[in-house]
Amino acid sequence: MPLDWAYVAVFALVGAGMAALPLGLVWLLAPRSHYPQKRVAYESGIIPFGEAWSQFHVRYYLFGLAFLLFDIEVIYIYPWAVVLRELGAFAFVEMLIFLGVLGVGLAYAWKKGALEWV
Amino acid sequence: MNWADLRWLVPELVLSAAAVLLLVADLFTPAERKRWLGWFAVASVVPAAASAVILLGDLQALRSPGVRIFSDTYTLDAFAVYFKLVALGAVALVSLVSLEYFPGRTPHLGEVFALLLFAGVGLLLMASASDLILLLLSIEFVSLSSYLLAGFLKRDPKSNEAGVKYFLYGAATTGVMAYGFSLLYGLTGSTSLYDIGPRLGQAGPAVYLAVGMALAGFGFKVSMVPFHQWTPDVYEGAPTPITAFLSVGPKAAGFAALVRTLSVGIPLEQVNWPLLLAALSALTMTVGNLLALVQRNLKRMLAYSSIAHAGYVLMALAAWRSPWALQGLLYYLLAYLFMNLGAFFVAMVAADATGSDEIPDHAGLSQRAPWVAAAMAVFMLSLTGIPPTAGFFGKFYLFAAAVDAGLLWLAALAVANSVVSLYYYVGVLRALYLMPPATPGPLPVPAGLRAGLLVALVGTLAAGLYPQPVVLFVETARRLLTG
Amino acid sequence: MPILTITLFLPLLGALVVLFLPREDADRIRRVTLGFALATFVASLLILPRFEYGRREIQLIEQAAWIPAVGIQYKVGVDGLSLVLVLLTTLLTVLSVLYSFREHHRVKEYNLLFLLLETGMLGVFFALDFFLFYVFWELTLVPMYFLIGIWGGPRREYAAIKFFLYTLVGSLAMLLGILLLYFHLPAGQRTFDVLEILRQRPLAGTGLLAQLAFWGFFLSFAIKVPMWPFHTWLPDAHVEAPTAGSVILAAILLKLGTYGFVRFSLPLFPEVFHQHALLVAGLAVVGVIYGALVAMAQTDLKKLVAYSSVNHMGYVMLAVAAAAYAYGRPELADAAATALNGATMEMLAHGIITGALFLVVGVIYDDRTHTRGVEDFGGLWAVLPKYGAVSITAMFASLGLPGLMGFVAEFLIFVGSFSIIPVFTALAALGVVITAAFFLWTIQRIFLGPTNPRWAHLPDLDRREMWTLVPLVVLMVVFGVYPKPLLDIINLTSSQLVAMLR
Repeated sequence: MPLDWAYVAVFALVGAGMAALPLGLVWLLAPRSHYPQKRVAYESGIIPFGEAWSQFHVRYYLFGLAFLLFDIEVIYIYPWAVVLRELGAFAFVEMLIFLGVLGVGLAYAWKKGALEWV
Repeated sequence: MNWADLRWLVPELVLSAAAVLLLVADLFTPAERKRWLGWFAVASVVPAAASAVILLGDLQALRSPGVRIFSDTYTLDAFAVYFKLVALGAVALVSLVSLEYFPGRTPHLGEVFALLLFAGVGLLLMASASDLILLLLSIEFVSLSSYLLAGFLKRDPKSNEAGVKYFLYGAATTGVMAYGFSLLYGLTGSTSLYDIGPRLGQAGPAVYLAVGMALAGFGFKVSMVPFHQWTPDVYEGAPTPITAFLSVGPKAAGFAALVRTLSVGIPLEQVNWPLLLAALSALTMTVGNLLALVQRNLKRMLAYSSIAHAGYVLMALAAWRSPWALQGLLYYLLAYLFMNLGAFFVAMVAADATGSDEIPDHAGLSQRAPWVAAAMAVFMLSLTGIPPTAGFFGKFYLFAAAVDAGLLWLAALAVANSVVSLYYYVGVLRALYLMPPATPGPLPVPAGLRAGLLVALVGTLAAGLYPQPVVLFVETARRLLTG
Repeated sequence: MPILTITLFLPLLGALVVLFLPREDADRIRRVTLGFALATFVASLLILPRFEYGRREIQLIEQAAWIPAVGIQYKVGVDGLSLVLVLLTTLLTVLSVLYSFREHHRVKEYNLLFLLLETGMLGVFFALDFFLFYVFWELTLVPMYFLIGIWGGPRREYAAIKFFLYTLVGSLAMLLGILLLYFHLPAGQRTFDVLEILRQRPLAGTGLLAQLAFWGFFLSFAIKVPMWPFHTWLPDAHVEAPTAGSVILAAILLKLGTYGFVRFSLPLFPEVFHQHALLVAGLAVVGVIYGALVAMAQTDLKKLVAYSSVNHMGYVMLAVAAAAYAYGRPELADAAATALNGATMEMLAHGIITGALFLVVGVIYDDRTHTRGVEDFGGLWAVLPKYGAVSITAMFASLGLPGLMGFVAEFLIFVGSFSIIPVFTALAALGVVITAAFFLWTIQRIFLGPTNPRWAHLPDLDRREMWTLVPLVVLMVVFGVYPKPLLDIINLTSSQLVAMLR
């Protein structure tokens, strides 16, 4: 019984160490220099303007969600494509249904006007 | 994997197809015809339920206690079919009354019914899930639909609050449960309940930790103390038909999943979970009842009462060694379906008339709508456990299980709690019958609600007066699940 | 012809008929209710020619499968004890319904509940299956709650919920007792059949469990009787209930408790009951004396009658405790049988007499004076000769005047109990003196002395009131003078019980 807890403790310690070690190494080894530009938000090289706390249009989230959905969908299609030949017609039909359901979602979003940027 | 296995999924497939179809149809239905979508939702439950019954017949023809498909992730047995029927009953009845409730409150009528059907699909899956992953997914599926439904009236701040609270609490407990599941997987190397049981070996602290964490998720679904805090706020704020749905559908499915997980996945020789659940049962019923005593809002009162009833049902798990336990649990959840839905339907009628959910505002309803008040009397007495109602027979079953398992202390505590509960249930009858109406005149009751009420009333009385068919069914289901 | 089933469900059928009558047509509702109550009374009389007077066992059994999967059946039957109580129930329901013709408030619900209540009470006396018994036992609570709560006096809501809560505590404790009995039958033969459980006595020799089950039943019955100190719901319920509700409550519902003691506690747990018999007898004596003293101190007539019920039910419990104490001592068997005869006789006598007393109070309070303070009257006999005669007869019967029914019952109780528990019996006899004192004092204050001018022009009993009261007075006198036919029936059960307890 105490041995089990020892596992848990070791597990927790190693887990914490994995996070702390690289941070600690960086803190120890990396050279440091301070100048004002370092405190500026990173915007892919463009000089930032305006407040970071600006409001976003609610449609941004709708677009974001729709994008995410179709982005993730591809993750399923890759492994499916790899084993399609082995699984045959069953897998093919299954993917059609999957895409069909997604299509319904897209149609829904479209019809509800979620894809229009006003 | 083969095509033929899919036939065991027909109820789920039918309901999913109906939900998707409804969503598409909604896009092309003009506002004034949207009520037809509701009728479509109600109607689509019929083939789903019929196919579930036919599958049960197929099982019996095969002389099989249950089929496991998709690498043991999905099990269809009498136990699952029973819960599927309960869930479908909840979906149908709630859709029926939603037809009267949502028009005028929201323009997005189609989505209500689509979400109800999707939640129904989740419930069907929960009843059959025998793999941690499918279990988690189906619970999440029900939860996500429910969050949306709870917060559906976006112009109503209380509904918003309900949606957000339900979501935050649900997300947190699901996370904890997922962690528990991952520990179980880590301990046994399998996600299938059928493998976990034999591989669990000697119980150490890690096993208890895993079971405890998993209980958080189930506890959330069934409103078990200490995972009950969301219940009153969500019940009060959510649209009333949705509250009714949450109180019976996800609760019943939560119990189904809990029972399958514990009875199949966690051998009680190794983990003494009945003892743990006896303590939780005692705590849940007592907390629920004591807090219900002081409520004036009908929906909040029913929320605490629903916590208390979760406590009674948990007695079945505490008394698991008695063959009456599972039968009692199954019977009770059916009885609870009828009586609790009925109570919420009356709450809808009363709130329509008075514009309030406060119990004293329902004074004199017996003079304005005698049949509705009489139905409420039956529901309240049934919730208390007064014969000859379904609620009484359910309690009788559960008390019997506790006595049979030697848990006299728990039975005695449940008795004390039942007496306490009489006080607040009769408080409703006091308002309805003993107090004079504030405004006279008969009260109109919309047709859909009337139909829903009638089904709930007949169910409560019929299951109480002649429980024999249900008793036979639950006995079969019990024998098939526990051998 | 299944006469018991017909008797049992006629009132329920009546309730269903009333349910579908229009609420505006109060007159028809009253007449239909009375019709069904009368039909039930006739049906219960039809049991008499079918009853075999030589048989001590329960007879005329009618049964049907109900929930065979768990050993529950519909099974009814009668023996001497239940037969007389059934007749009392059907008769008093008729009289109460007749008396309630004066009720104008929510007539439909009122009559419907009365009929429902009658089925509940009859079911308790008929039932030979514990599950069925429990269903009817609880079924009596709901109509009574509403009768007190809707048509009661100023503190009706409090009284109604108090009644409901008290009795539910007891019933649920009994339910656990029933389940304990059930699960101690051998697996495979489990049943809720009363006769089978009585035959097997599954908890005999289990020690603690038998004790627990006994006290579970005890709590339920003692609250219903009510025994001191479980009586506190009774004065509230009686005072607030409408007149007819008080009548039924006193005459029948209290008898459910004593019936339970005689029918179940005695033969099911004779050893345990024997152990605690003296404690029960002690409580009974306290009830007798406490009830009488408190009744004496009352100025409210209804409260006075209510506390006299605590007093009288104490006699019944004394006799039951005596019978329990005689368990295992064959030489006391005859005394025990006499005590039990007295107990059953007292149940009937108290039903008839106290029913009449509550009607008497109602007659004066409901329509005439709207006061029931003992001090508010005086010289009423001169103004209301018929009313006075009826009332005084009932009060004399209640205090145990020889030649009236109450005397027979109390005499048998004292004779039977004295040979078994002499000290308790002697103490209880003290109660008789106090009872006599307060009833005589009450008669003096209300009916004798100078006439209170406020009531000089009260009308005497009208025809309907005569119809409700005279049958009861006749019964008091007839069975007071010639109790034999009644005792013959009652003795069947008592001797059977004593034979089982020997």
